[in-house]
Amino acid sequence: MRILLIDDDEDLRNLLSRYIRGQWPDAQIDAYDPLERSIPDESFPLGSYDVLVLDYMLGRGDGLEWLKVLKQRADCPKVLFLTGAGNEIIAVRAMKAGADDYQRKQELTRDRLISSIRELTATEVERTVSPELAARMAGHSLGAKVHIPGIKVLHLIGEGGTARVYLASREDDDEPLVVKILRQEIVLNKKALERFMEEYSMVERLQSRHVARIIGHGAHQNNVYLVMEFFEGGDLSKRLAGKPVPPPEALKLFRELMFALGDIHEKGILHRDLKPQNLMFRRDGSLAIVDFGIAKDISAADRTGAGEVLGTPRYMSPEQVQGRALDLRTDIYSAGVLLYQMLTGRHLFDGETAMEVAMHHLNTQPAPLPEDLAHYQRLIDKLIEKDRDARFRNADEVIGFLARNFEQEKPEITQKLH
Amino acid sequence: MSADDYKVLVAKDIADLIPVFMKNRHKELEALRVALAAADFEQLRQLGHRMKGVGNSYGFNHVSILGKSIEDGAKSGDRAALAATITEYDDYLSKVQIAYE
Repeated sequence: MRILLIDDDEDLRNLLSRYIRGQWPDAQIDAYDPLERSIPDESFPLGSYDVLVLDYMLGRGDGLEWLKVLKQRADCPKVLFLTGAGNEIIAVRAMKAGADDYQRKQELTRDRLISSIRELTATEVERTVSPELAARMAGHSLGAKVHIPGIKVLHLIGEGGTARVYLASREDDDEPLVVKILRQEIVLNKKALERFMEEYSMVERLQSRHVARIIGHGAHQNNVYLVMEFFEGGDLSKRLAGKPVPPPEALKLFRELMFALGDIHEKGILHRDLKPQNLMFRRDGSLAIVDFGIAKDISAADRTGAGEVLGTPRYMSPEQVQGRALDLRTDIYSAGVLLYQMLTGRHLFDGETAMEVAMHHLNTQPAPLPEDLAHYQRLIDKLIEKDRDARFRNADEVIGFLARNFEQEKPEITQKLH
Repeated sequence: MSADDYKVLVAKDIADLIPVFMKNRHKELEALRVALAAADFEQLRQLGHRMKGVGNSYGFNHVSILGKSIEDGAKSGDRAALAATITEYDDYLSKVQIAYE
């Protein structure tokens, strides 16, 4: 394999080379420093490479301009474009200019780099034999097939139990957006689909800054899609990263979550699937909830989707575990579990299987908070009462409790993610 | 900054890249000082941007945070904020403790 790395940063070139050689020891990697050389001209053997890794800021040059020029060449290899986090419009423009994949530079891990190069260089046989690659390829081709008026679907960026997730953009102004295309097993359940359409129509009309802005939803050739705002700050799981959040900041985020629940509950909508991956941050640090669990309880997909085996049961209310009718208090419980995790950096319950975790919600009294967090014990207790009649009844009650007991605790700074 | 903020955990298989990485950070610090003295905000922005990109990749998250701060300070032309961030960068580089996993 031959790879060309164009980046103005020596350290990044060194690191990426190391990652690639760790995976493919025989790979030939050529580093190209744009501070010393201008854009490769016609005599440069671009076609001898399998992949070009191209940075978007090249010191004296503009990576996007280089991409446009190089992509006009018939011998241009597959391009992995490196963008800045929080600057998704660059990713949109790169994909429109012909990049084959993109990665956010600040979040580029060994695994992401290898996975991206593997995907770009896979042979037809490998794409068929590897279930993981085959699924990705199916995802890519699905994205290319779905036509949404005024929206361009650009690139598969994630796969969940209920939907595939794509980077997209508004054709008028390149504004980055997210398109989610529901999995067929959800679409084929007529009753569930009707409910999805009905409830997202309500969410779409909901004007709340604490809820993801839904730009539209619809269907194209049996594919049901949802178009929503892009969150440049990532999600709460990224911010947590297994560590606690300073209590004033945790309380601030929790308060925002309560405002969000207040807004949706007022419209008669339950979230039903609160978890760190569903709390997103905008560029300014504000929080919004996404991915209502509307389709979740009508499908087993969430329990079988990769990486989600334990995801949902960790935040389930006892009544969800029992399969009972749900009300506002189920979201209050899940929010309490999230607050516990933010404060302590630990899950409320652990277990080896999803069922074990779920059963803890029914039967196990959680360990008390550590001494330095004892101040929050009463709040946590009333959020995660197993008997929902003893829980806060709604988000307003929680907000009132916070105002009476924690009004002085304001975070020193609002953490922005970029 | 707490003592933990100065601790960095780096993967063992890139340990040999760290001396060059650290040398480049010290060179960068000098370049930042020169650019600030010359009020060269474009150079400051580029340097900050580079720090932001490379810090996290090596596990030096604080380098990325300071890089972002320098990039923002350069965009707004805030010399006082830039000077404070560069001082903090100097302090960080002199105290950072690297462990290998």
